[in-house]
Amino acid sequence: MMYEYFENMVQGVTAKLAEEPGKINAKKRYVREIARLGKKLYAENEKIAWCGVTVPFDLLNAMGVTSCFVEFVGAMLSSNETAPLFMKEAEDSGYAPDSCAYHRSVTGAVLKGMMPDPDFIIGSSSPCTAGLAVMENMAKKFNRDFFILNIPQNNSRNSVKYLADQLKEMADFIGKHTKEPLSLEKLGTALEFHNECSRILKDIYDLAKQTPSPVDNKLLRDFGTVVTLFMGSSKGVEICRAFKDELTDRIKSDKIDPSKEQIRLMWIQNRIQYQFPIEKILEDLGAKIVVDELNDVTWEPMDPDNPFESIAKRIITIPYSLGTDKRIAHMQALATDYRIDGAINPCHWGCRQGTGVRGLTTAGLKQINVPVLNLEIDCVDSRNLAKGQIATRVEAFAEMLTQ
Amino acid sequence: MYFLGIDIGSLSCDAVLIDENKNIISSAVIPTGVKNIEAIARVKKMVMQSSFISESDIKSIISTGYGRKRVEGRDGAVTEITCHAKGIRHVIPKTGIVIDIGGQDSKAILLSEQGKVVDFAMNDKCAAGTGRFLEAMARALEVQIDELGDLDRDAEEDLVLSSMCTVFAESEVVSLIAKGTEQKEIAKGLNRSIASRTNSLVKRVSKNFNGKCMAMSGGVARNRGVVKAIEESLGIEKLHIPDDPDIIGALGAALIAFDRYTGNKE
Repeated sequence: MMYEYFENMVQGVTAKLAEEPGKINAKKRYVREIARLGKKLYAENEKIAWCGVTVPFDLLNAMGVTSCFVEFVGAMLSSNETAPLFMKEAEDSGYAPDSCAYHRSVTGAVLKGMMPDPDFIIGSSSPCTAGLAVMENMAKKFNRDFFILNIPQNNSRNSVKYLADQLKEMADFIGKHTKEPLSLEKLGTALEFHNECSRILKDIYDLAKQTPSPVDNKLLRDFGTVVTLFMGSSKGVEICRAFKDELTDRIKSDKIDPSKEQIRLMWIQNRIQYQFPIEKILEDLGAKIVVDELNDVTWEPMDPDNPFESIAKRIITIPYSLGTDKRIAHMQALATDYRIDGAINPCHWGCRQGTGVRGLTTAGLKQINVPVLNLEIDCVDSRNLAKGQIATRVEAFAEMLTQ
Repeated sequence: MYFLGIDIGSLSCDAVLIDENKNIISSAVIPTGVKNIEAIARVKKMVMQSSFISESDIKSIISTGYGRKRVEGRDGAVTEITCHAKGIRHVIPKTGIVIDIGGQDSKAILLSEQGKVVDFAMNDKCAAGTGRFLEAMARALEVQIDELGDLDRDAEEDLVLSSMCTVFAESEVVSLIAKGTEQKEIAKGLNRSIASRTNSLVKRVSKNFNGKCMAMSGGVARNRGVVKAIEESLGIEKLHIPDDPDIIGALGAALIAFDRYTGNKE
């Protein structure tokens, strides 16, 4: 059923792209690649791995494994409005209704037999241990081997070596399951693709920083998190190029409406996944999300001749992997670079990163005079949404910033 | 020239009519009920009738509250956060922090010296500590909502209600009644729990609130027990209450209507 769902999505988007051959349509091309990945995850005869968000997908790609982070499924189920069905399954099995809904819906999907049976599972201790618990459950349910990457929270030479050693073990673990050892040549190529993507991403984010910004409230939503699935491949380069071209085209063709940017905002953490028109509400208020906290994360080029240490360094320097002070420093830098007027933190229910450190992130941004609106939104479980109350808070925030 | 503000909340629907000198000409407060469009029409009719002016004399209408976008003929809709800030500064000009406990939410609003909203915090996820909460508790105590304010007058104990969830708190109140706990002690416990919530909202917008003038708007400000409990909880000498706390949101809306129409940047 899910294979057909993604197949239909691929066909639908391909047909729409064919109707507009002259247009760049970066978002549609990107969505098509996501749908193609979804198809592969549910296809037979694919080597499949369910993973944590910060697991190196370029390494998995280089080893011929189709992989994805589990939260992707939670987001997908939420966006097509089926998540409540799966969350109920999880809740009926004893999972707390106020735990993270990304993970609850994935757990429900596992229990209902909607998750493809993987060949193995690779978790990571960052960004959240709740995800690790879900993957442990999955491993038990599917009776599959489970490898955990323990990601240190400090960026030191020892930490990098510690993680690099684990990555080598991880490659051996994968090779044992696929019966194909890692080819360093293929890994080197994957890293070159990743480097190229990172270069283009820097250009994309430089364009997004402009005033008025060529982005709109939807174009780059959750882009930084999901694009990592493709960055070690030529597809990743194509996707990134398309977005860069789209933004460049918007600037050149003077398509940017400054009235939609009376307020420049940063969105903290992930967006709301189900159908709630927060982006439209903001647009109507003249507010534009010019940057998402999780988007503007890029790296210096990795050394293909020293792949494990390079990847380790990359993972460790993701702001989420480090301590909260580093995450706050990253947000402060984004706030300054993008010249934002305010920030919105949805404070996703049951999330350490979203709700757990909200006091610290708010204080960190207030320190540089950036007002923060902390909402109380379950970004995946639409059953917990108080539409009127959220709209009032967002409107009041916009009024406060424009008075 | 006249300016109308309508505050359509979940529990009450209020309207205030002001003249070009910002004087209140008439006001009305009625229960919203289940048909808020009818409530809007009724409250509007009431202020018009008592002011003896014709609708054509109204130059601008601003609506606020949860039903703000259901007010026909409005010139704008502004949130209750901005309107309460505007309204309270008009009647208590030195206000630095506004506490508003409405029907389905409670809020603390931090104001700048010029009266602009600098920050605000609202209740999380549920109706705990709101007007609805008090309604439910009055029902559990079998008293009218107006009677709640004085119910704790001679209470001596420092009863703590462990739950702030409206449903659980109601059942806790029922249990306390069954145990023979006096009404006044339960009422005091309820007021203290609302005060504790409010305290947290105030601290979220201003950790150092000492020296700031604090005022309260909204119908719950008429409840002396809650006001006293908030004063005690925050350790402040006086929580300032306007003469008509229920109409502050609508007054703010009327003042914003005036400002927008006249181009007043004050």
